[in-house]
Amino acid sequence: MTTYRVGVDVGGTFTDIVLLGDDGSIHTKKISSSVENYAQAIVDGLAEVFRETGLRGDAIAELRHGTTVASNAILEHKGAKTGLITTKGFRDVLEIRTLRMPRMYDIGWTKPAPLVERYLRQVVDERIDAHGNVERGLDPRDAERAVDTLLAEKVEAIAVCLLHSYANPAHEKIIRDLIRAKAPGVACSVSCEVLPEIKEYERTSTTVVNAYVMPIVASYLKALRKGLDEAGVPARLLLMQSNGGLTTDAAAVERPMHIIESGPAGGVVGAQALARAKDLARIITFDMGGTTAKASIVEDGHVTRAQEYSVGAGIMIGSRLLTGAGYTLKVPAIDLAEVGAGGGSLVWIDPAGALQIGPESAGASPGPVCYDQGGETPTVTDANLLLGYINPRHLVGGALKLNAEKTKRVFAHKIAAPLGMPLEKAAHGAHLIAASNMIRAIKAVSTERGRDPREFALFAFGGNGPVFACGMAAALGMKRIVVPPSAGLFSSFGLLYADVEHHYARTLRRLLRKSDRLEIERAWDELANQAIEQLAAEGFGPDKRKIRRAAALHYHGQTYELTVPVPEGALDLAYLEEAFAREHERTYGHRAGADEPVELVSIQVVGQGVRTGPSVPERVRASRAEPTPPAPRLAYFGSWIETPVLRRSDLAKPRSGPLIVEEYDATCVVPPGARAELDAAGNIVIELN
Amino acid sequence: MTEIRDPIGFELFKNAIFSIADEMALTVFRTTYSGVLKDNMDYSTGFADAEGRLVAQGLTLPGHLGSVPTAMQSIMRHFRDDMQPGDVFIMNDPFDGGMHLPDIFVLKPLFHEGKRLAFACTVCHHTDVGGRVAGSNASDSTEIYAEGLRIAPMKMYEAGKINKTLMTFIEKNVRLPVKVFGDLRAQLAACHIAEKQFAELVAKYGAEQTAAYMRETIDYAERLTRAALEKLPDGVWSFEDWIDDDGVDYGKPIRLFVTIRKQGGHMVVDWTGTHPQVKGAINNTLSFTKAAAYTGVRSVLPQGIPNNEGVFRAIEVICPPGTVGNGVLPAACAARGLTGFRMTDCMFGALAMMLPDKVKAAGDGGNTGVSIGGYDAERKPFIYVDFTCGAWGARPWADGLDGNSHMFANMASHSIEVTEAEQPIEFLAYEFVPDKAGAGKYRGGVPFRRDYKFLEEEAILQVRSDRRTHRPFGLYGGNPGMPSENYLNPDGENRVLPSKFTMTIRRGDVFRHVLAGAGGWGDPLERDPAAVLRDVRNELLSAAKASLDYGIVIVNKELDLTATTKKRAEIRAARGWTEVPAVQREDPIPQTRKAA
Repeated sequence: MTTYRVGVDVGGTFTDIVLLGDDGSIHTKKISSSVENYAQAIVDGLAEVFRETGLRGDAIAELRHGTTVASNAILEHKGAKTGLITTKGFRDVLEIRTLRMPRMYDIGWTKPAPLVERYLRQVVDERIDAHGNVERGLDPRDAERAVDTLLAEKVEAIAVCLLHSYANPAHEKIIRDLIRAKAPGVACSVSCEVLPEIKEYERTSTTVVNAYVMPIVASYLKALRKGLDEAGVPARLLLMQSNGGLTTDAAAVERPMHIIESGPAGGVVGAQALARAKDLARIITFDMGGTTAKASIVEDGHVTRAQEYSVGAGIMIGSRLLTGAGYTLKVPAIDLAEVGAGGGSLVWIDPAGALQIGPESAGASPGPVCYDQGGETPTVTDANLLLGYINPRHLVGGALKLNAEKTKRVFAHKIAAPLGMPLEKAAHGAHLIAASNMIRAIKAVSTERGRDPREFALFAFGGNGPVFACGMAAALGMKRIVVPPSAGLFSSFGLLYADVEHHYARTLRRLLRKSDRLEIERAWDELANQAIEQLAAEGFGPDKRKIRRAAALHYHGQTYELTVPVPEGALDLAYLEEAFAREHERTYGHRAGADEPVELVSIQVVGQGVRTGPSVPERVRASRAEPTPPAPRLAYFGSWIETPVLRRSDLAKPRSGPLIVEEYDATCVVPPGARAELDAAGNIVIELN
Repeated sequence: MTEIRDPIGFELFKNAIFSIADEMALTVFRTTYSGVLKDNMDYSTGFADAEGRLVAQGLTLPGHLGSVPTAMQSIMRHFRDDMQPGDVFIMNDPFDGGMHLPDIFVLKPLFHEGKRLAFACTVCHHTDVGGRVAGSNASDSTEIYAEGLRIAPMKMYEAGKINKTLMTFIEKNVRLPVKVFGDLRAQLAACHIAEKQFAELVAKYGAEQTAAYMRETIDYAERLTRAALEKLPDGVWSFEDWIDDDGVDYGKPIRLFVTIRKQGGHMVVDWTGTHPQVKGAINNTLSFTKAAAYTGVRSVLPQGIPNNEGVFRAIEVICPPGTVGNGVLPAACAARGLTGFRMTDCMFGALAMMLPDKVKAAGDGGNTGVSIGGYDAERKPFIYVDFTCGAWGARPWADGLDGNSHMFANMASHSIEVTEAEQPIEFLAYEFVPDKAGAGKYRGGVPFRRDYKFLEEEAILQVRSDRRTHRPFGLYGGNPGMPSENYLNPDGENRVLPSKFTMTIRRGDVFRHVLAGAGGWGDPLERDPAAVLRDVRNELLSAAKASLDYGIVIVNKELDLTATTKKRAEIRAARGWTEVPAVQREDPIPQTRKAA
């Protein structure tokens, strides 16, 4: 019997389901998300697939899931009523944040409301110093008073974060035990367990976010499990984490902070796997949907991760310096640069006469003018329609009808006429400016980190990614573009490629030159043992576990770190120092003199559960029959050219552009002069001259 | 109003050039050593055309908005005909293009086929540039000569060759040369990135088109600014405020006075009437005074206007030489940040007279500077410099922000734990202080206190704070915020310290600073009682103060409506307003002040 792995990506609007059989067969389903109960859409969607295909629940071997349940709870302030216990004198660390705001001259700025209101922030009279010495002991009666006060307020979750607990967790553990004893039903998130790292604001915020979503994630996963059981799907449930690794549902309930940015990770991980299979050492992923475009980088088979990010920070071009929006989480996450440019981004002319794109979007409603659902402001999708890039009559295999005449009228009146230029020139301008906005996202992950995009292939997906990919690659001097199968559903497809991973870190500050090698190794071993225990509990035997080490370092005096991998075997401090200097040079273009000491800041461990056999067959076969492609049409590439419209399978033999590939979930534009063909894995590979 | 000849090509170019300026800023951010740059973001990057006109400023400290044009004018004055590829200029002289000595400019002319096309510009606040007090930030120096190393515009590199004499001279005259050189390297790296990317731009567009686009970028910003100014009312508005004193002539208030004259698409910001320059080190350069004016105006203009020379053409700033807003030799200026913050607040005051529904009341007054420096037992120097502020004035539509940086310097705070791991300091408190925010329909921001306990043998503690005798003003019926406070050993002798001072502290001494509360907006009696109750529950406001300021009487955590109605009537009678006062600098009904 063919067994299937299922990838499910639940977004705010759609739930995407991909079933992949071990024989390479693939079934896809896109249904509306059930906002009141996200689990229901998954169960219903699977039932529909079963009906359509005759498959049974026991054919499902594993269900892999990317979810926005946790991030939505934060964005909508619908998490648990949460209390915080912290050190006396530091009650407001959570609310004061870092003082910085993300907008420069905005007199109307509103700080994000703290997830724990002040009256639910209780202090205890204790103090531990930076070296872990107890300066003032914790009186258990004081701790009890703090816990009782919060319980009297009927909190559903309690976060505990005391100063310097990463150096000495004793006081936090006393409070944790008290909470467990007094209120076993109350979720409890303790900073020395969740994030034993220096920097009180980041640790407090992370611990609080974790507490805030614990109850909601627990009840969601419970409901989903129940629904699956009732539908006769006994398969185990794995969740995508923000860092690109999978975790079990049991682990996710304890550390929901790792699944907050679960959504966009799937596509990057899928791209990583396909790039590995193709021996592409360096790719930039480019994921463009209706409202945003996201870029990230995969080098030598590894995704890059940020060690810290903000949930719900919104999207602002050039905002990487201007922190202060959203809620800070200091956990590793795939490093994505995001700009507010998508198919729905509005096209407009500013008061000084310059053509502008976004960041406002027409959204799902009213949508672009061509959807004919009340949208009166032209969008990027309208420009693409006018240029002949997308099908002028319908999208999504005919499910969405378009009104090209209306688009022409509105675009001519609102954009082309004021600019005093022909319609196609104005539309082409809008297309190019949208591309140049998105190029800033690509630069943010490449040139801004000392990487030259010309040495990378562009891996394009999302409904709109393949429309823009070739033009953007050309502007950046990139030569090769890869468009994976099911490009428009790639976030759920990518879930199928991920491995189980658990990330651990702790602060260990010391100058490398003055360090005791064995002491550092011991600390690393402790973290590794945590990873091993976790993986063993999940059924990964000794030969199925991989442990990777990494260190975060800086020159003494710097305030931010670079992370370098640490090879297996005995620790070589001199090697580590040199590896850091090399990374510093690569990223910043220079290294300090040899006499400047390097400081270790924290150590990290990633435990990976290794799967048996290839995760995904070498080649996938879509179960959906490809429609007959429409006739060739005129498309604008500086001048109007009659352009063939093809199916993906038509590229089995190489073809030269211009050409357009139309699929159920995405459209790919190949300009004149470029060559496109399918590779063995079913990717469209485009080479530019 | 379409005047751009090639709107699409232009937009693409503009995207590219601002992305270079931002990338310069990111380069400094990533490579710098000092927390002042990283956390306080006390630096800026920019891009100027061949004549030194600012085309694009990267993400920046608002206080540096006027800095690059002034620096560029100085470089052009000295070196217009003496530049070649590989040159890099350095400068920090406040009287020849700079701002104050810690701000070192590094500027690089960029050439194409031997012809100068542009400049990459960076300015960073360095941790220490020598002088009599560690950190080079002393507020009580009385002449520039005590403040540190003064670098006239000169070449740091000539045709790619480093000026060793100069670098050695710097090395021997600053306390932490490793940090200074680390940060200079960050500035050079930013110029290097700019040079590389600009060359790609020129290769794509050609030298002539690039120059034309740069001019166009400036004109574009000017048009946007003028179009936005057109929409504001025409007229003349003035506002005055006072700095308590300069820390040298104690108790002698320093008047700030601004007049805004606005006509069509042009605005004049005139500081004539502002106090003559003072002995203490809080004298601004004109460039800093300009920045304060631009920051105020920008906050009432639409977002998205690029920062460049075009904006400055539409907003003219006047400040007579020899005043605290435009100091001349030998004015000391190290701690002029204070004056910049307060001039911005003064601008907000004038703008509030022009646009009553758009502008906020006074915040805590901008950041307090605390520096603790000395030598440990092994004679190794330590320098701890902290700038902190956090209470915003109330807005006509919302409360002031609690714990948010002043708009003039969008800084981040240092981590308590990291500071304790690196410095001989332990913090005893960092938290909000109740009953200090100015009451109003919308209340001012709640200030916080910081208690610093010193753990080494001995150090010099220097503090620059203000808003002690002149409280943050409230607007349109809102109360002023409560004054700032400084104490030595609050749990012991609890000695009250002045707002600005330099003193020796010893092991175990505790210094407490409490920020001023921010001013309120609108009549406190119109405040939603639920908002008052919320502040009481959160212990940001005492029940006693709720009754005193808002006339809200709380019994058993609930509103007592009858008592409240009565109390409000009493307050109305006692203050006896015939009309709502536009500006309040003291409480409408005198109160006895309570210490925190």
